Amino acid sequence: MATRSVLQSVRTALRSFQSDFIQKGLFQRIAVLGNAQTRGLRHVVEQKEGKTTIIEGVIEPTSEVPQPPNPTAKCPIYRWNLQNKYNYTDVLLLSQFIRSDGGMLPRRITGLCAHEHTKIAICVQMAHRAGLLPDHRPRLPEGHVPKPKPNPPLNRYLTRYSVKSVNPIYKKGLKWCKKRMPVGHPALKNNIRYGPKPLYIRH
Amino acid sequence: MSSYSRSAQQWATFARSWFLIDARLQPPGKIATMCSVRLQGKHKPIYHPLSDIGDHVVVMNTKHIAFSGNKWEQKVYSSHTGYPGGFKQLTAAQMHKKDTTAVLPEDILKNLTEELPQPREIPRKLSEYTQEERNAFPMLWTPPEDFRMK
Repeated sequence: MATRSVLQSVRTALRSFQSDFIQKGLFQRIAVLGNAQTRGLRHVVEQKEGKTTIIEGVIEPTSEVPQPPNPTAKCPIYRWNLQNKYNYTDVLLLSQFIRSDGGMLPRRITGLCAHEHTKIAICVQMAHRAGLLPDHRPRLPEGHVPKPKPNPPLNRYLTRYSVKSVNPIYKKGLKWCKKRMPVGHPALKNNIRYGPKPLYIRH
Repeated sequence: MSSYSRSAQQWATFARSWFLIDARLQPPGKIATMCSVRLQGKHKPIYHPLSDIGDHVVVMNTKHIAFSGNKWEQKVYSSHTGYPGGFKQLTAAQMHKKDTTAVLPEDILKNLTEELPQPREIPRKLSEYTQEERNAFPMLWTPPEDFRMK
């Protein structure tokens, strides 16, 4: 869902990008295709100083990334209006905030606000446990041979707690005091849901 | 159902069909509800509890079933043999380890009419995205100039 909304905003941003160039009326117009990677646009500037005329070409510094829909916000997720729209499955979004060994990047570098940083950290955790980030494994020391695992890893998704920290629920309790099994995370309870059913966190 | 031809609809309601479900990366509870509906015959408009109108369902890839949350460790299947000291409790992980998977015999493969759609949409891993898709996704934040180590 996050990929869909981001790509839509990218397309509208590119359209406004092109219309801006046509309106500015530069001396040299370079045809802007629907590509996000464009060279910096140049325009020719004539300056007359007495008897000398200086003609120079100036490259306008243009960033390759199109304008986000909400550029005045501080947090990058609010800039792209993705507040309650991403989940643990949106790996393209989550992979931008993680290191190559799977850890999160610090907040002071990415510029995320505290709430979004924790939400993304939770989603990254869930994605790691679901096996959606196979290339972001921790680096093992050289010459280290991993022990052969007796059991194949079990498939799981939306795991809130780590696998080794959880104990089995031997006494489930009666209906009015049942010990529930938590699924997902309450930090993501404000996510947009298209449908009548609410989000069940306690199964 | 209205898009099926009359003969196909007639076969589907009155004949005993064989369905196939792929349980890879699916929650077992949802697979079980889908199976039970079809085994009872509740997906047919001529359902009656006394009539024997259920269909056959073959579930494959049960070894790769996926539980949501921490249910592999937390869910406990309890049973009692009736004899004293016969209370058995197994976690879902232990239950899963017990069962074995078998190869589908050819006679069943010939009879299968329909494959049912999976209840849960399988999310894509990062390695399954093409380089073009990854390039099309814009970078949300600009790293500072002196930043390295990514």
